[in-house]
Parts: sequence; structure tokens; C-alpha cells
Amino acid sequence: MPEVYNWQLGRKMAYVYEEAHPQKQFAAVFNINRCIGCQTCTGTCKATWTFSKGQEAMWWNNVESKPYGGFPQHWDVKILQKLDEAHQAAGKKAEWDTAQTGEAEPYGVYNGMTITEAATPEQQALGYLPPDSEWRAPNFYEDTSTGYKGDNLGISTEGASLPEHQTWFFYLQRLCNHCTYPACAAACPRKAIYKRPEDGIVLIDQARCRGYRKCVEQCPYKKTMYRGTTRTSEKCVACYPRVEGNDPLSDGVPMETRCMAVCPGKIRMNGLVDIAEDGSWAEAPNHPLYHMIKVEKVALPLYPQFGTEPNIYYIPPRWAPRAYLRQMFGPGVDEAIARYVAPSRELLAVLQLFRTTQKMIFRYEIEEGPLVLETEVNGQPWQMYDDTVIGFDAQDREVARLSVVEPIHERPVERLNSI
Amino acid sequence: MNKRSLLSLSLILAAAAALTFFKVPLAGSQGLTLVAAQVSGDLPLADLDSAVWQQATAIDVPLSAQNVVRPMMLNTNVKSITARALHNGTQLAVLVEWADDTQNDSMVRVQDFRDAAAVQFPLAEGQPFFCMGQQGGNVNIWHWKADWQADITARNDMHTLYPNMYVDQYPFSAAADPIVAAPADYADSNYLPALASGNLFASASRLSSVEDVIAGGFGSLTAQPVEGQNVQGYGVWAEGKWRVIFSRDLESTETEDASFGAGKVYSVAFAVWDGANGERNGQKSVSQWVSLQIEGVAASPAPAAAETKTESVSYEGVLWAVVPMAAMLLAILGLAGLAFLFSKLPNK
Repeated sequence: MPEVYNWQLGRKMAYVYEEAHPQKQFAAVFNINRCIGCQTCTGTCKATWTFSKGQEAMWWNNVESKPYGGFPQHWDVKILQKLDEAHQAAGKKAEWDTAQTGEAEPYGVYNGMTITEAATPEQQALGYLPPDSEWRAPNFYEDTSTGYKGDNLGISTEGASLPEHQTWFFYLQRLCNHCTYPACAAACPRKAIYKRPEDGIVLIDQARCRGYRKCVEQCPYKKTMYRGTTRTSEKCVACYPRVEGNDPLSDGVPMETRCMAVCPGKIRMNGLVDIAEDGSWAEAPNHPLYHMIKVEKVALPLYPQFGTEPNIYYIPPRWAPRAYLRQMFGPGVDEAIARYVAPSRELLAVLQLFRTTQKMIFRYEIEEGPLVLETEVNGQPWQMYDDTVIGFDAQDREVARLSVVEPIHERPVERLNSI
Repeated sequence: MNKRSLLSLSLILAAAAALTFFKVPLAGSQGLTLVAAQVSGDLPLADLDSAVWQQATAIDVPLSAQNVVRPMMLNTNVKSITARALHNGTQLAVLVEWADDTQNDSMVRVQDFRDAAAVQFPLAEGQPFFCMGQQGGNVNIWHWKADWQADITARNDMHTLYPNMYVDQYPFSAAADPIVAAPADYADSNYLPALASGNLFASASRLSSVEDVIAGGFGSLTAQPVEGQNVQGYGVWAEGKWRVIFSRDLESTETEDASFGAGKVYSVAFAVWDGANGERNGQKSVSQWVSLQIEGVAASPAPAAAETKTESVSYEGVLWAVVPMAAMLLAILGLAGLAFLFSKLPNK
């Protein structure tokens, strides 16, 4: 098998195809801390793409309650277990070496096996095929927290406090990760799955698909789905007409996908990042995604140890147990939460840009404002400035302008109830 | 090629060699000949119990698991098939029978895989690689599918597999009762993207249970265009056994079709999939090439160009002589390489 460089793992890894990279990559940051689990993203995606016969259990976007929820049920527990069994059989440990970090290995070096490295002769990547029963209840375990240990009634007399809640759950927002090294594409015996050179979006060629379900079996995130009416598999298309700027609303510039653009909780930011020839992200310090993922490292990949180099990044929930989060987002979790809890002046401004426009933001500028708050966060002094952040679209036109402090308009007393 | 991929290739080939020598009867079908008996009158194209089939000599063809390329499944279920062939000067019919405990003829649920069978003919002179040919050595495959067979009677759909399902509506479907919406009820096929792309799997109606495809190596299987789909099939499962008839005109002028003439000898290979075992794509039982003799007198005295059983070197024969030797050599090299790598590891 050829070797490819996976920067999320800080090393080369075995993959079915030679290393090749798109010019741009579809990517997003999801701020788990802000999600209210309303499923507007889920419903919007369904109303846009998967409302037809055979797509009843097909949710390209879903939001599941962790740790118990999953669509399909227990998908991550099952693949983690398989990976663990493969490590035990090989006498290896899935450990990270965090002593060596740098530009090319921001989270350290993963010394365990990826799903392509742990593959059997039957598969190109370790996987399993969930039966229909596991796709049927997409939001099973909704809002189910872990049990409180220490009181018979499950009630804590002391309440919950940070940094880790004893009783917890959080929402995990999921769609296709449009991976750099997609396991679905590796799995397809007839190369019906391809990654677009212009934006890195991963698609299934509906003319070539023969419904073998190898992709359903081997995508670790379970984001390719089988459709019984056409006898082929389908997947998230990243709303490519919007990303291409061909949607009538888009004004000729790339737009965020439907699921991103509708988010009432303003948790999602979607964009295209420039990819260098060697697969690294071309330096773009004023690109909001580059800033959050590469500079601040506040947003992390989902299960990087699978080895597909997923391109949806998550700001981890600050209340959940760190060991669980490290398993889910890798060793960068502690630093990411520290940076989110006490954001830098620049990061705080960038975080305001979420969901301010349907257009993808390619660059931002910050106009400095006055110091408005001095306080302590986790025992450290922290200042807040009322800076203004300005976002620009693909044609460098201003599309968003926000201040850190939200403007407040007080209604005069005589019109308090004038609606 | 770097050390790592050389090593993995060596290991794969060593495994293949081991299978060749100890387990799998790969050379079993060498020397077998299937004779297409010449009969007069109509062929029993949809009559499995017709006495006419008794005029054809049945041969048993051993199958083994495809073990050359991923995805493999080394414990495929079907170990042999029985084949018969008939022709009447204009049509060719091949009857394939094999044991299968379960009838798997639906592809609607995600975990359902079909039973299937295929017969394969070289498109060029000589015998290309018996697993789907190779680059420059295309093959014509007739692929019978149990679900396509079932579709002809009544199309398998969501509401047939999930009789208690309910839906308010399927937007853009014209069906009066939304539950029974069929592909034909969609005026805009873009809501069935596979259908809009011309994928035969998504067809609104089935004209045949056999797909006429060509291939030139692993991963290259391509359906012929709709107008080139000219193979018919008829399959019935009963008492733990599938019996499937493939039929087509003897001659075809299409470049993607094998063409046959009386009095000539060709090659044929078989493959079977057991859906209950999750067999699909390369996870299948395959035979090697078997000679196919079309009984009768050749129409033209001149040696036919399409005749395949000639002096030409058999690629398959060479392959199966060379591959095990190469595999052993590479395995030795691989082990030596491994030993070398280990010797270079720092002592801890």
C-alpha cells in the first residue's frame, strides 16, 4: 500500500492510493459548546436532499447525544472496539507521542494503527456494515446523560461545576467529513467514489455505483448510506451547487451548505481552505478556519486516529470528561478547551463571525476597540476588548461586520409594550 | 516500490501461493469442455425441466474463492456448479445450477445481498485473466441477479420489505398513494440520481434478469448501454438449488459482445455469489476457463479469427505457473527484508 502523509497523525500512513491533494478543501468548524440540539441542520438537510423514497433512514446530517447516542447506533463504539481488538491482536497500543509537536504534527505523533493499517484481506479499511435496525432511530438516547454516582436518587446536592461535570452529555453534530484520505473511496472496489480536485468534496458516482456497500461498511463515520430503491449508495454532497457559487442566491461566490447556513445556535462555520501541493494547509492567518484550526488549535478533528484526515473540526465541550474527549478528538483537547475558555483577543473576534452570512468567509480583518472587561478566568487575568471583526467573501467584498460586544438598544419607557 | 509495500505484496503473494498449494483447487477446471449441443426447434429458454436439456451433457465445474485482490472472502460458500449448454443455430442457452440453502432475491435492506451467477467469455483471442480479464484483454460477462429476476414479477421496493411503513408524502412523486410510489412515479428522475445517471440498477422496469457487461480487469466492470443489453435470463430457486438459464443470439455484431458460431471452440468461465454470506463484487466463487464447444459444422471453411482455442499462448497458464514461483521468491525476499529490518532496529 502507498504511504501518505497525515498531518493530524503527524506521520505517514498506509492508504490505498498515492498521495494527491485538491487545490482547496471543503472544511468547517463546529462549536459543540453552543449547540442546542434543535436539529434544524438535520431537518434542513433532509428537506433539501433526502426526502424521497428509499431515503427514509438517510440522514446525511445528524446530531446525536454523546456518550450514548449514535447514528447508526453505537457506530463509534463499534469501530473503536474493532480498532482496539486489532491493536490487541497485533500487540500494539493506540498511543500518541505528544512530546514531539510542530507545524507538521500539531497534535504529536500517533503510534497506533489507523483503520487502513488494521485492514484485513476482506477490506481496505477496518469496518462493519450496520443493519437496518441500527439506522432506524437516528436520535436514540437523545439528551441522555451519564448517571450521577453518589446519590440513590441520581441527584447531586452540590450541583455541577467545571472543569468536568460528573453527570454530562453533549451534542455531536455530524455529516460527511469529506476526508483527505476517504475510507469510502479506498473501500470501493470499482473506484466509483472520488474526491473533487477543486474543493475536496467526496462524491459517489451514481452511474458507476453497483450497491456493494463496501463504502457503507468501511467509512468509519458511517456517512455513506444505502438506498434500497435505486440499489446504490448515496452520501452528503456538501451542497456542492452552493459551494460552487451556482446557487441562485449565491451571487456567484461560494456559499455555506444548507446545514451550516441555517444553524440557529450559530455553532457552524463553513469554508474552503487553500491546500499546498504537499497537502498541508497553505498559510492564511486571516482565514477564520485557518486561524481556529491551525493557529489557535481550538478546533479538532473527530477521531483522528481512524486516519482518514477528516475535515470537520470541533471545539470540544468544556464540561465533558477529558479522557472521553481525548479519545474522540485526540490529544489536543486540553489545549483547545483552555484556549476556548479564555480566548485570545483575535480568537474572540473570529468567534463572532459564525453564522453572520450565508457566504463563505475567506478573510477577516479586525478593527481594534476599547477594553471593556477585566476579569479572571481559571485564576488567570483576562481582558475583553470590544473589537470589530469584518468578514470578506471570495471576491473580497465585505459580507459581515460585528463587534465583540453585541449592541444593545433600550426601548424608551413609554414604549415598553408598544408592539 | 518502497520496502513497506514490497513487504505487504510479498505477504499477499505468499498467502496466495500457500492457498494455491495447500487449499484451493485452482487448476481444477483445466481441460474441461462444455459442449453446446445442437438441437432443432425452439430452445427451452424459460423451461428448466424441459426434456431438451437432457440432450446436453452436464459438466461439473469446480469453483474457488477469488483470492487475488481485495476485497476477498476466502470462505465463499459455493464450491462447484453444474453447467449445460444448447444451441439451435441461432440462439445459445447455458443452464447453470448450484446448491444454495437460501433464496436471496432482494436488495432493498442495507444488509441484504443477492444471489447471483455470471458466465464470462473472452472478447479477444486467447484467454485473458480468468477473473474479469485484464487491461487489453476484455471479457464479456452475462451477470444474472436474483433480485432482477424477482423484479420482473413484482419490483422489490421499500413498502414490500417494510409492509407496515408509513409516509405522509414523497414530494414530487405522482403516486396517488404515496406509500407505493415507484421510480416511474417520479417525473423528474433527479430525485433518483442513479436512475438519472442511467444506472441500470435503478431502472424503473426490468426487461431481463441478466446484465450484459464488459470488463478489462478488476474494478473495470461496466454495463453495456441499454440498447446493447441483449442477454435474457430465467432463474428459479427450489429445494436448496438455483437453476438459471442464460440465453442470447449466437452471433452478435456488437464489439462489446462475444459472438459464437457452430463448429467452433471458445472459452467460458463461471462465477457465483451467495448473498446470504454477504458475497458481492470480488467476494465470489470463480472457475477458471473452461472450453466451450459449439456443436455443428463451421459455416466457413476458413479458420475463424474469433476462434480462441488456437496455438496462442494461454495467459492464464503462464500466470499460474509464474505467480506461485514469483510469490515464493518474493516471500523469501520479504522475509529476508524483514530480518534485515529487524537487524537494524536499535536494541532497547
